[in-house]
Amino acid sequence: MSSESRVVQGRAGKERSFQRWAEENPLAVLAGVFVLLFLVTSAIQPGFFSVSGVRNTLLQAAPLGILAAAQTVLMLTGGIDLSVTMIATGAAYVAANQSPNGAAIAILMGLLVGLIVGSMNGVGVAIFRVNPLIMTLAMSSILLGLFTAWTQTVLAGSTQVAPFIRLLGGGSWMGSVPYSVLVWGGVAIALIWLLRRSGWGRLIYAIGDNETAARLAGVRVWQVRLSAYMLSGVLSAIAGILLAGRTGAVDLQLAGAFLLPSVAAAVIGGTSIFGGMGGYSGTILGALILSVLNSLLTFLNVGQAIQQMVYGSIVLALAWGYASLTRRS
Amino acid sequence: MAFSVAMRNPALRILFRNSWALGVWLLLGALVLWYSTLIPVFGPFQITSITKNSLPLVYLAIGQAIIVISGGIDLSLGALLLLSNVIAARFMAGQPLPTVVLIALGIVAGLALLNALVGFVITLSGVPDIVVTLATGYIWSGLALWILPSPGGGTAPEMRWLFTGSPSGVGGSYWPPLLMLLIPGALVAIWSRTTRVGLSLYAVGSNKTAAQLAGLDVRRAKIVAYGIGGAMAGLAGLAMVALTGTGDPRFAIGANATLNSVAAVVLGGVALTGGVGNVFGVVATGVTLIMLNPILIAMRVDSNNAQVIQGVLIAGVMMFGGLVAFLRERRS
Repeated sequence: MSSESRVVQGRAGKERSFQRWAEENPLAVLAGVFVLLFLVTSAIQPGFFSVSGVRNTLLQAAPLGILAAAQTVLMLTGGIDLSVTMIATGAAYVAANQSPNGAAIAILMGLLVGLIVGSMNGVGVAIFRVNPLIMTLAMSSILLGLFTAWTQTVLAGSTQVAPFIRLLGGGSWMGSVPYSVLVWGGVAIALIWLLRRSGWGRLIYAIGDNETAARLAGVRVWQVRLSAYMLSGVLSAIAGILLAGRTGAVDLQLAGAFLLPSVAAAVIGGTSIFGGMGGYSGTILGALILSVLNSLLTFLNVGQAIQQMVYGSIVLALAWGYASLTRRS
Repeated sequence: MAFSVAMRNPALRILFRNSWALGVWLLLGALVLWYSTLIPVFGPFQITSITKNSLPLVYLAIGQAIIVISGGIDLSLGALLLLSNVIAARFMAGQPLPTVVLIALGIVAGLALLNALVGFVITLSGVPDIVVTLATGYIWSGLALWILPSPGGGTAPEMRWLFTGSPSGVGGSYWPPLLMLLIPGALVAIWSRTTRVGLSLYAVGSNKTAAQLAGLDVRRAKIVAYGIGGAMAGLAGLAMVALTGTGDPRFAIGANATLNSVAAVVLGGVALTGGVGNVFGVVATGVTLIMLNPILIAMRVDSNNAQVIQGVLIAGVMMFGGLVAFLRERRS
């Protein structure tokens, strides 16, 4: 009797200590979810458990991860960018248009599109204080109209990108590591360093946590916001160029499907949509989880309807689980 | 001095408090006048066409406004519209009138319950509204696609008459769509400003903690707001099936409708931070957003440029609003 109760007590204690461990290491829990999903996918599609399976997952996740990076930085400041996918598409078009002049110019012009549109978003949000949801939504509508019109005029026939961009988006270094994943890795290292170690990163967290306090402490809030939107534009452009390279051709629906997943990846990774909390390492895991989930649903071959329902349910369950883990601590 | 006089006079006070809503109605009136000079003939046909085409967006915007006022935001309203649209199209085709009415009532009540459940999940989980509704939006549009895999179905002529003014959906009287436009808007606006529960939405949206300390049931307010949002999305789906005569489960239609509803709400003077705004103003901005299209077509602007102009106008109006707020802040 007494020994039995001790066993029960011991088990309860163990559960509590697991809970405490999970509260302190939410990223480890996310990594666990990723590994679990990867193993389930491998059980359904045996060929998936291999180097090429990992490679495919990373290749899928790279553009999403970079778009989610833009979303993470802005969400940390309390903002959001609903125009990331149209910026990506626009950058891809311009890169395709400039491809005859060489890959370097094509990529630079593509990035310039991101910088310009990002600055315009930033001016609206930071200086004119338009709600970011509305500003970027309007920008997305403007870009869609402009590029639809331009594909029939100045951008007509610009659907192929330079061979170097195609190599960058779909090719592999030494046959196994995709170049796009190397680009993503570079972006990730730079961003994590910026957010954790630089003064700019501290200001991003500060204005997201309490804008008034940051302003009273002497921060020029509008400058920080503007720079965040410019960075978001450039990151979206990088993702667009990689996507164009991967698919080889550019069209207006190039990046459209990534908008909601880019927000979802940041949220699953633990970045608060109200600002001030989170980081990019969680977002990386979020992007990996969503892409492996995508592969899983594709392999299950259940049709788009069930696929959407399962996708939504799992995003909700992950966000709920994460919230209940971190709320208790 | 003039301000305090105005505050003492109740009629003037009501005007003052709702100045933004009044402004957008005046703007809509001016746009209609302008439009009537742009085209050769302006008559009942144009009034019918504008009112019936704006019904889905207006319903969605009313629902979004109530949710935003209570401090939330619902990115799944467009998906709920799809769900209502496909259920109606799939099950109403070829049915007798009583069955059709029953299905319509069932859809509105069902979606109200469904979205109230979403509101409950938000209060229970502590996950931000925008994230929960993002996820449920996927679920509802998946469900819609499952119910009606490809565009099709139909509805009863009486349903089409109710929302479009003619049993075939073409031409007809402008009274049914005009009344269907104004009555739900007026009902929700009056309800939200005069009843205990309606006012509690404003209280909860402007300061959740203060509302809770004052003894209001925050959880109930949220659930009620999301329930109304669901019911309005149900109405929007019914209006859609009456307008087009078919059901269409495409994801992009829902996503666009959601984003337009948020734009209409913000332009209508409802602050996304919650607790501020008037539902009736949102009706006017919903119609205005739809009206821009025929106006730009009448001005011979091509449709791509029309989209650009619409975006520039939305951003421009919001920038102007931001500038005014900034100048007022500096003066005080």
